[in-house]
Amino acid sequence: MMEDFREVARVLNNRFVQKWKDEGKKVVGYTCSYVPDEIFYAAGILPYRVRGFGAGAMTIGDTYFGPFICSLPKCMLQLAGQGDFDFLDGAIITPGCDSMRRLDECWRKMHDDTKEHMPGFFFHFGVPHKYTEYSVKWFVDETRRLIRAAESHFNVAIKNEKLLEAIKVHNVTRELMNRFDEIRTRKDPPVAGADSLAIVLAGTAMPRDDYNRLLGDLVEEIGKSAKKLNGRKRLMLLGSANDDVDLVKIIEGERALVVADNLCFGSRFYSDLVSEEGDPVEELAKRSLAHNDCPRMYGEYRERLKKIKEKVATAGVDGVILQNIRFCDLHGSENGLFERDLEKEGIPCMRLEREYGPIVESGRMRMRIDAFLERLG
Amino acid sequence: MIVAGCDVGSLTSKAVIMRDGRILNSALIKSKAKPWESADEVMKSALEGAGVSMKEIVFCVGTGYGRDKMKFINEAVTEIACHGKGARWLLPTAMMVIDIGGQDCKAMRLDRDGRVVKFMTNDKCASGTGRFLEVMARVLGVSLEELGEMSARAQAPITLASACTVWAQADVIAHLNNRVPIEDIAAGVNNAMASRMAVLANSVGVERDVCMTGGVAKNDGVVSTLEKLLGVRIKRIRRYDPQMAGAIGAALFAHEKAGGGLR
Amino acid sequence: MRRETREYNFDWMLWSAFSSASRIKMGTEKEYRTVLKYIPYFRGIAEAMLGTGEAGQKFIDCCAAYLDNLVNARERGLKTAITTFCFSPAIMYALDIMPICLEVLTVMQTLSYKRGTVEFLDYCNEVGYTETSCSAQRGSLGAYLAGVGAEIDMIVTDTPGVCDTNANAFSFASAYLDKPFFQLDMPPQLDGERSDDYHIGDFKGLIAFLEQHSGRKLDLDRLREVMREIEKQDELVAEIEDLARLVPNPLPVPFNFMVHGSRFLFAGMKECTAALEAMLKLGRENAARGISGLTGGVEKLRGFWCYIDHYTQSMRLWQMLDRNGICYEGNILSRSWAMNAPHVKEFGKEDAAYSLDLTDLDSMIRSMALLNSRMPMVKSIRGPYDAPNMWLEDNLNLARMYRADFIVYNGTPGCRNTWGMVKLMARDTEKAGIPTFIMYADAFDDRVESWEATQERFEEFLKVRGLL
Repeated sequence: MMEDFREVARVLNNRFVQKWKDEGKKVVGYTCSYVPDEIFYAAGILPYRVRGFGAGAMTIGDTYFGPFICSLPKCMLQLAGQGDFDFLDGAIITPGCDSMRRLDECWRKMHDDTKEHMPGFFFHFGVPHKYTEYSVKWFVDETRRLIRAAESHFNVAIKNEKLLEAIKVHNVTRELMNRFDEIRTRKDPPVAGADSLAIVLAGTAMPRDDYNRLLGDLVEEIGKSAKKLNGRKRLMLLGSANDDVDLVKIIEGERALVVADNLCFGSRFYSDLVSEEGDPVEELAKRSLAHNDCPRMYGEYRERLKKIKEKVATAGVDGVILQNIRFCDLHGSENGLFERDLEKEGIPCMRLEREYGPIVESGRMRMRIDAFLERLG
Repeated sequence: MIVAGCDVGSLTSKAVIMRDGRILNSALIKSKAKPWESADEVMKSALEGAGVSMKEIVFCVGTGYGRDKMKFINEAVTEIACHGKGARWLLPTAMMVIDIGGQDCKAMRLDRDGRVVKFMTNDKCASGTGRFLEVMARVLGVSLEELGEMSARAQAPITLASACTVWAQADVIAHLNNRVPIEDIAAGVNNAMASRMAVLANSVGVERDVCMTGGVAKNDGVVSTLEKLLGVRIKRIRRYDPQMAGAIGAALFAHEKAGGGLR
Repeated sequence: MRRETREYNFDWMLWSAFSSASRIKMGTEKEYRTVLKYIPYFRGIAEAMLGTGEAGQKFIDCCAAYLDNLVNARERGLKTAITTFCFSPAIMYALDIMPICLEVLTVMQTLSYKRGTVEFLDYCNEVGYTETSCSAQRGSLGAYLAGVGAEIDMIVTDTPGVCDTNANAFSFASAYLDKPFFQLDMPPQLDGERSDDYHIGDFKGLIAFLEQHSGRKLDLDRLREVMREIEKQDELVAEIEDLARLVPNPLPVPFNFMVHGSRFLFAGMKECTAALEAMLKLGRENAARGISGLTGGVEKLRGFWCYIDHYTQSMRLWQMLDRNGICYEGNILSRSWAMNAPHVKEFGKEDAAYSLDLTDLDSMIRSMALLNSRMPMVKSIRGPYDAPNMWLEDNLNLARMYRADFIVYNGTPGCRNTWGMVKLMARDTEKAGIPTFIMYADAFDDRVESWEATQERFEEFLKVRGLL
């Protein structure tokens, strides 16, 4: 089971995706946790979270993006240009942040040059930066626009009852993940942060029914596990998106455990249920937009800080690692605020700036983390 | 009780042999490609000078980027902790340490016991490191010592593209071609270096006394500009060579870990 | 930040510099020349602007009046709001709120002080704001974060959906200073009913926010008065922009900067109208005589800046252009999207423009919301760069209309939104036959690329492309 998750976390076109495609079914990629998966589940299409994992060179990424851009979308474009995402039948780009939203243009222009590697369905999905009555209304309309476009392109009907069913299935995941979270944050937990990340990653890259089944079994099994990872410092990981299990391994080493996070490939994947009452499109839009974990939702810092403090307390966190990808100013700056406000409350923090992509600085990173652990005693 | 500290950095490797908290001898060599070879050689040199054999070393702490690769050490400690420890020994009133090494620099704040409570490192690019000064000195055709002294004679220091060493180098060449006085360029180089350090130090929070370790501590131009930017006097270290701070700290840890009293 | 920098109030320093500058021409020419010797770092601006006569004088008066309001805001009973350049300050003036526009202050400090905003830029990093963020806000934000500027009551921005690093500066400031925050969020599409509704809903939210935190109620007559003044200003700007189409262009090189500067400072206020009128007067006079606005009198080239200028010390960019006989055909910041703007008519872009309807409160709010959604950058850098009404279309249309011989991009390394698309944009404009140059400098920070290097690379571009 855990091996399945680890494998899916490392292989983009994994065997679950391959099997799905062999059955003649479609896959649609998306780049941001503000896109409701349920829409595609309801259409019988596999929603797949596009990642940048495994990009080696940056030749294609640097051809289209300028130099002062986050390396995550550059890696995504690199993989797309190499054909690694050729299994996608569609892609949805959001203005999650400025670096990410330009993946839209860069991907299209790359296709203009190569005439290859472009999914037939390509959609710019506008996500507002605030939660108000009028922004929700706008976002509901935007979600309906996405639904109509998908219906027309893939020749499917996305009916309300299908959406409701999808919501229920995805809520099952969220409930299972919340149970998993409880296990992960126990005293001497049976599972390390690296595996926790693999579990989340798998959820973004395989059919939801298979995932729920495997996740249910896993939660059952490790819930009863006698294995104990004890005597380690308990860390919380905040900041920019990370889909690299090895980064968490470097952070954990042999002396630490990442027991909590607020990451895009992390708790944002499963926090908050979608209401199963009311109009499903509205409920999906509301759940997405109400998510204020990402600093793209401007002016909500205090709420995010509050949540993090609560999590530090409930998960018994010894220290917080505030990491950001270079040029990710949203997380980078907010990390500065978190450091100020958490340290004020006696919660040790360490800021870490890094590049996304192959980890080439593990020595330096290790040194800083070791020094931080030395501080934690 | 004889102990040792060995600090293998990216540019230089250092070793300190200590008996009962007093330095018997130290050694400094240019680092080799393989960290364990650097460690072996610098230790050998330090031991020879001290007239001590490896067997007599009760405890040895390794630090620096090569710390996990050393064969003879009993324990590895990060250079952050070692520099903090070493700096406190070099300057007992130090509450803040700014260390500029060959390829990285760090600022750290210490508690009363000399433990590092907050630190930041800057090692993304050579600018803001000793390497930056080396490159610039070479372009200007002066020694590192001369580069440091030139600030005092500058009239109108230039502003340098300091975010990137390569661009800065191009700038320095352009200024030379435009016959800008070499002192003004040198002062621009030292100022750029000092400003980058000032940001790091202020981010950690400046607390007196401040001391500087690492090779750049010997550059007066950088140190005096930094003093202006931080608004504090940086205490000069006289007890021992500030470049040895990491190895001294490692030796002090070795002393403690071997059961020696606090020094 | 050095101790002595902390001891001087930032706003006061700028006020002192600009209010003195507004008076240096009051004496004889000889006295003026003598004063210039004592202000080596301000001299460049003084000469570039005051050299244009009444227009320059009025513009510097505008700057001085703005700073006078800023340093005396509390005494004059004004609330203060930190805000951004691409936000029309008119609504704030209508509510007696002093807009503290970060980018404008950064430009003022960058232009007039030898060290520019270096210490404030760095101060932001020291308190945790990333060094990769945009220097346009950082340059003055540092002063307010350090508490050496005016007291702040609230923070307002309109760049979410347009520019993350900009929006983030305000969001950070709000969290850091613990002040109320409001954002006008911009949907990816400029026009259409959905976007209009969103813009209007958002603008109503803004008014409610401003009323709440200023303790004042929006006065219909006051708003109408401000909007009437905007109408006048739009007319003036439209004619100035039209004059810039002439060959040779009769406008002096710094005019473009002064046009948008006046509007960022005082949109809807009489000070701005006076400056624009003086600029138009000189432009008309030159046009009537068929002469170029360049100091040398000979127009060799026409350049269009597709983003922002380069503001470091002494207006060296403008001086270099003027020296080389290059006529400055403006940048994306200076364009008005009023219905009567020449490019709106020329390219039939009425859907992308705004017009002011002063009938009642609703129509006025709608007008102001749409005006604000059509501010520079906010208008054209929201959706994909090649979508209708966006960056590429605007650049191509404007460059063609003004018969630009080349296009230059300059920004800051903090500009995620343009660095993600500028290579693509440059390819397209090159394909359209317009040589395009990308500067890698920081408009506000010579430490990224020194001005000397920037100038050398730019001149090399002109040479290599056979333009000069």
